[in-house]
This record gives sequence, C-alpha cells and structure tokens, in this order.
Amino acid sequence: MIRYALTRLALLVVGLVVASVLIFLALRVLPGDIATLIAGTNSTHAQIAAIRAQLGLDEPLFGQFADWIGGVARGDLGTSLRTGSTVASEIADKAQVTVPLGILALTVAIVFSVPLGVLSAMRRSRPDGTALSVGAQALAAVPVVWAGMMLVVVFAVWLGWLPAQGFPRTGWQTPWLALRALILPAITIGIVEGAMLMRFVRSATLQAVGQDYVRTAAAKGLTRNQALVRHGLPSVGLSIITVLGLQIAGIIVGAVIIEQLFSLPGIGRMLVSDVAARDLPKVQGELLVLTSFVLVVGFVVDLVHRLIDPRQREA
Amino acid sequence: MPRRAPVLAAAALLAAAALALTGCTGGASAPSTSSAAADPNATVNVRLVLEPGNLDIRQTAGAALDQILIDNVYQGLVSRTPEQKIVPALASDWSVSTDGLTYTFTLRQGVTFDDGQQLTPEDVVWSLQTRKDTAAWSDSARLANVSSIAAEGQKITLTLSQPDSSLLWNLTGRAGIILKKDDTVDYKTKANGTGPFILTSWKQGDSITFQRNDSYWGTKAKAKEIVWDYIPDNQAALNGALAGELDVVTGFDATLKQQIEANGDFSLKLGSATDKFVLAMNQKSGPLADKRVRQAIRQAIDHDAIVKAVGSGVPLYGPIPKTDPGYEDLSKVAPYNPEAAKKLLTDAGEKDLTLTLTMPSFYGTTIPQLLVSDLNKVGVTLKVNSVDFSTWLQDVYTNKDYQLSLVDHAEARDFENWADPTYYFTYDNAKVQDLFKKSLAATSDAQASDLLTQAARIVSEDMAADWLYNWNSVVAVGTDVSGMPTDNVNARIDAAELAKSKG
Repeated sequence: MIRYALTRLALLVVGLVVASVLIFLALRVLPGDIATLIAGTNSTHAQIAAIRAQLGLDEPLFGQFADWIGGVARGDLGTSLRTGSTVASEIADKAQVTVPLGILALTVAIVFSVPLGVLSAMRRSRPDGTALSVGAQALAAVPVVWAGMMLVVVFAVWLGWLPAQGFPRTGWQTPWLALRALILPAITIGIVEGAMLMRFVRSATLQAVGQDYVRTAAAKGLTRNQALVRHGLPSVGLSIITVLGLQIAGIIVGAVIIEQLFSLPGIGRMLVSDVAARDLPKVQGELLVLTSFVLVVGFVVDLVHRLIDPRQREA
Repeated sequence: MPRRAPVLAAAALLAAAALALTGCTGGASAPSTSSAAADPNATVNVRLVLEPGNLDIRQTAGAALDQILIDNVYQGLVSRTPEQKIVPALASDWSVSTDGLTYTFTLRQGVTFDDGQQLTPEDVVWSLQTRKDTAAWSDSARLANVSSIAAEGQKITLTLSQPDSSLLWNLTGRAGIILKKDDTVDYKTKANGTGPFILTSWKQGDSITFQRNDSYWGTKAKAKEIVWDYIPDNQAALNGALAGELDVVTGFDATLKQQIEANGDFSLKLGSATDKFVLAMNQKSGPLADKRVRQAIRQAIDHDAIVKAVGSGVPLYGPIPKTDPGYEDLSKVAPYNPEAAKKLLTDAGEKDLTLTLTMPSFYGTTIPQLLVSDLNKVGVTLKVNSVDFSTWLQDVYTNKDYQLSLVDHAEARDFENWADPTYYFTYDNAKVQDLFKKSLAATSDAQASDLLTQAARIVSEDMAADWLYNWNSVVAVGTDVSGMPTDNVNARIDAAELAKSKG
C-alpha cells in the first residue's frame, strides 16, 4: 500500500510539472497582450512599449517561466498585471463563492441521483423505471445555460423567491443572503451533473445485479432487490467515488458558465475576464490551482479506492 | 420569431426620441422624471457592462473608468454636460485671450479631497504638468501645446505655444483631471478625488460602490449610495431588473424592450451617443486600394436595414456624428444602390471578389450577417473573422493586418484619427491633415467647426471607410428613479442628480 501511495504521489508531482509547462506555453500562443489593452485605441506605439517594459513583458520567455515557477515553488503565485493585487488573495476571495457553489452543486447531484439511479435500476422493467431513465437521459442533454434560465424565470422572475443574479456585497457576513444567491446556480449545475451521475448509478447497479455474489445471496433466500441492497450497493458506492472525482472537473466547467449567467463573482468568471484581458500571470496561477485541485482529488480518490476495495488491496 | 414587433416599436420610439433631443440644450439631459419625493437615504443600483481592470485613472485607458470616475469622484477645472457643452467644475470661471494663447482659470476655494486635504493651486499645476510630462499617462499628448502652467493666488494660467481649439474640451477629460500633489493613495484599487461621491468599495468582478460626499463643495448628491453593478450578460441584467435588484440598466438590448417594460416598473430611454460603428478598409494594398471598390462596398450596404436590425441608432455617412462639431449630412456621397455597386466593381475589374472582415466578437452576429448578405448581392463574398478584443488590437490596430474591420469608436471628437496616416485606418490625405491642423489652430469655435466639416466631407468622398451607424444609448430606468442621464452614458454618467423615491 505504501509503495503504491508513493508511486501514485510521484505521478501526481510529474503531472503538476507537466501541467505548469503546458499552461505557461499554451497561454503564450494567444495573440494580443495586456499592454495594448491598458493603453487603449488612442495610444502610440511608444506608449505601448513603455507599458510593456514596465510590466516586464519584454523579458525572454524562459526568464518569465523561471520567475513564475520559482515563485510557485516558494508558495508565491505572483501578482496580477491588471489589478496589482496578489493572485493568491484574489483566488482566495473568489473561492468564497466558487467552493460553496461546487459543494452545493455536488450535494444536489448526489442527493437526487443516487436514490433515483438505484430505483430506476431496480424497477428497470416497469414503466416508472423506464420513465426515470429516459428523464435522466433528457436532463443530461440539457445545456446548463438553458436550465439556469428556466429556473431563473420560474423562481426569481415569476415567484420572486430567490435572487436572479449577483452575490451580496457583504459576502458570508450575511450567510442567509449568500446562501440564497447560490441556490439557483447550484441547482442548475447539480441537475445537469446529477442526471449524468444518475445514469452511471443505474448502470453500476445493473451490473451489480449480475454479479455472482448477488446471485448467491439471492439463491440463499433473499429477494433479488434485498440481495442487491445488502450486497450489491457497497460495490456501487465504490465506483461512484471514482466517478465523483471526474464529476468535480465537470462542476468546475459548469461553474465557469453558470457564474457568467448569474453574475457571480467567482473563480470561473474571474478566469474568463482575465483571459480576455491577457492578464497571463494571473490566468497561470488560476489554472494551476484548478489543475492541481483536480489532480489532487484524483490522487485521493485512487488512494481511498485502494484502501476500501479488498480486491485491489491484495493485488 | 416574436422579435419583429419590439424592433419596429423601438424604431418608432427612436424617431420620437431623435425629435425630442434636438430641442434639448444645457443642464441635465432629458432626465427621467419621477413625481414622488426623492429618498435621501436611497441606494441606486445601476447596471454597467464593462468593468475596469483597475482604478488607475492616470494610466489605464478605456471608457469604463471615465464613465463613473470623472465628475463623480475626480474633477477637472472644467467639465462637460451630456450634451457636450463645456461647463465650470473646479474652476468657477475662465477666460481665453483673443489670440487663443492664454487660458486663465479661477480656482474655487474650500475644495477638499476625500481624505480631507485642501485642494491648492499647487495641486492643479502639479497635476497638469505631470500629465504633460509623463508619456505613459493617458492623453498626455493632448497637453502638447501647453508651454507653461502657473498659479498666482487662485488664478491658474495656461500659456500655449500655438492656439489649440480642442484644449478646453481635452481638459474636460483625462488630461484635465486634478489629483492631490504627490498623493500616496494606491490608485489601482482606491481613489482620492474632489467630486460629489467617495469611492468606498470595489468588489472585483462584481461592483463598485460610491457614497455621497457630505463635505462636497457644490450641491450634494441626491442619493446616499450608488452601486455600479457590472453585469456583462444581457439576460442576467434583464433578470436582475425584473427581479427588482436593479434600478437602472444601461447598455440595454433595445430588442428586449417589451420584456423589460412588461410589468410597468421600467421604461426605456434612448439617448444620443458619439459611438460610430466604423467599417474600416485597409487601403494600403489589395483590392481596397482602389477607390471604386471601396465606394462599391459603401453603396452595397443598406444602412437603414442595419439600424432597424440593431434597434437603436441613426444612419451615419461620414466620420463626424451629429453631436460633435463639424457634422454635416453626407448621405448623398455614397447612397445605397446595389446596381451602382455592381457597375463600380466591374469598372474596377473585380470578379468573384472575396474579402475578410476582422472584428471583435462582442459585437455579436447581427451586423456581420447583414454585411455578408448585402455584399453577396453585388457579387462580393465576405468572410467574417470574429476574434477577441486583445487579438483585434494586435492584428488590426497594431499590425494593420486586415482587409475590413468593424469597431465601435465611442470617443467624442476623435476626428484626429483621420488626419493620422499611421492610424490603423491607413487613410492618408495631406489636404485633410492640413484642414485638421488649421481647425486646431482656429481661435473661434465656428471657424474650427467649419474646417472640420470640410475635412470630413473629403474623408467621406475619398471612401476612406464606411460608417455603418451612429449608435444610440439605450437605458432602462426604473419608474421610481429620477435624474438618470440618458445621453452619452457610455462615456460619462454624472450621478449627482440620480435619485430614487420611497416606496
């Protein structure tokens, strides 16, 4: 187990290094730069050049990369060219919106997808089970933006129960207002992600039904559904953990879109505007943090999987 | 599509607004009126589209900063009304010598900055001199003709090396902003001005909040707090308005008129603006170097149809919009006539011409689609290359690597770009450059404006570009809101009169 963990950890580190190089290079392919944006459309070439020099954009690429990665190694993600504040503080600020949004969305997704997925598997030959499964298929195909708009029209514009957009300026100092602002966006992402998760839970459950140990249990006198719940579901739970790791990446992508739609000042919206402004040091920092997060989640999921799955532990 | 009705309704409204505007001069612009008493403790939430990257008014370009900071937080010696009239600000009055070389301003007494320090004549001299001497500050070059800046008591004197009819106008903008001498405020995130509002908080990616400055030297602002909400998405803005979270929505999509007016809480106001949607043509080389081809493109475009489709604006056929000095109706120069366009192309020997239009993606697809179909009718294939603004700045603006380009030139009085052969328009005519220089050197406004009219006519007759339309600002104002300016709100929003009634 320890050897496995160490190998897996080494892989994580290699993954992070490769990611940092890719992020840095990919951004350099983008045309345009922040100096021309700062100077605007009534500027002279000299003015743009002066601003480029002031921001250190005229340094050679390798030097810029070394500066950045050296800073990251010391725990310093750098400074935004545009706003002048540190990347770490801005991410921490915006994470107050995005992290709770992600957790809420994930909760929504799990709460409705797991029971409904199992139910639709257990009742697969009945009309209600089929309806559930078809419904999930349809929901999973719904674009996040459209789902969000429909929810806003009903719950914010018609009923006036929840805010249509924005996040309270007081932030979490007014927890109820902050939470209210996140409910519709979280449900929007949660429904779409949950619908995909539900299809997975259903097929994992069906697979479990066919396993030898479930059949054996059934042969010992349990009904098929009893056998499934007692012996099959633990293994379903295990594979759900793996899928959840992947789902987190989906939720991050969903957040980028949904923060735009609901005007939420989160990491996703910040990322979009920073890319448009070519604030590359900041985009690098943001992408690195997001990538690391996904890689670390993958790492933890693998370890957990290994720990609780007896078959893998022996291997 | 239920789109038709609102478009037509907006077009009709537009005609009415245009008539109303011509009779409107001085003071606050066609203000929205609410009969109920204004609440002195009200917070007014205003939706804006474009958030500034930082608050540094000295260096960072872009209308987003001017829009809210000038007049409200920072002030110059002079300012301008939404109708573009120059009015006193930190100077109570001014005079210009008959030779146009000496400008004398009387600085007001008792003006304080937000941090409590007094405004002194030294601050004024330092601000203008530093602006002139620091190339990296925006609009520094606009003070190029100023040879000395001096203070004697409350009298501030600017001496010029040659007359400059644009100087006063320039002093109403960035070039004229008065800062505290050697201020230590962190300009990127904070502000220290003399205006009727104090900038109290900036939540990046969300909003900027102003509080009324209770020790302001002039008439105090009507509302206690103004919150500028940055909401780029039109749908989110509409939702916010319908849910009662916004009081004013600027930059509104006129085609959504019915939706926002449905519950009676908002009404749409159209205002004039200096935004010119310019179809630039790179005339240095290739097919567009031929004037006949450029004229054919202009005559192939149905400008009225474009105005109708975007829902707000008026056709424009030359480089100067109605609200700027030097305007003349140039609609006769290259009127819509596809047959004439075809003939011009044949004369120029162009068969199966293909052109590429490079434009920033945020202008959407309506205009490029109309251009593609209009040009297709005269046998020109138009390829649309929609890029982000930073890419546009590099390829088109800096490198001039384009055939056709489409950008909204929002600045008022920016004719100078047609007199600059190095500008991305690639237009070079010595006669125009000379007329523009003379208009700057003119000592009377009438003379300056007349010279600009002559220059603008030549630019249009040279087919230097096409001017698709002059945009109108569209503002949705809550029925309980008063004092919201509606003209030129892309450039400036003076919020001092903005108020909300109780209830």
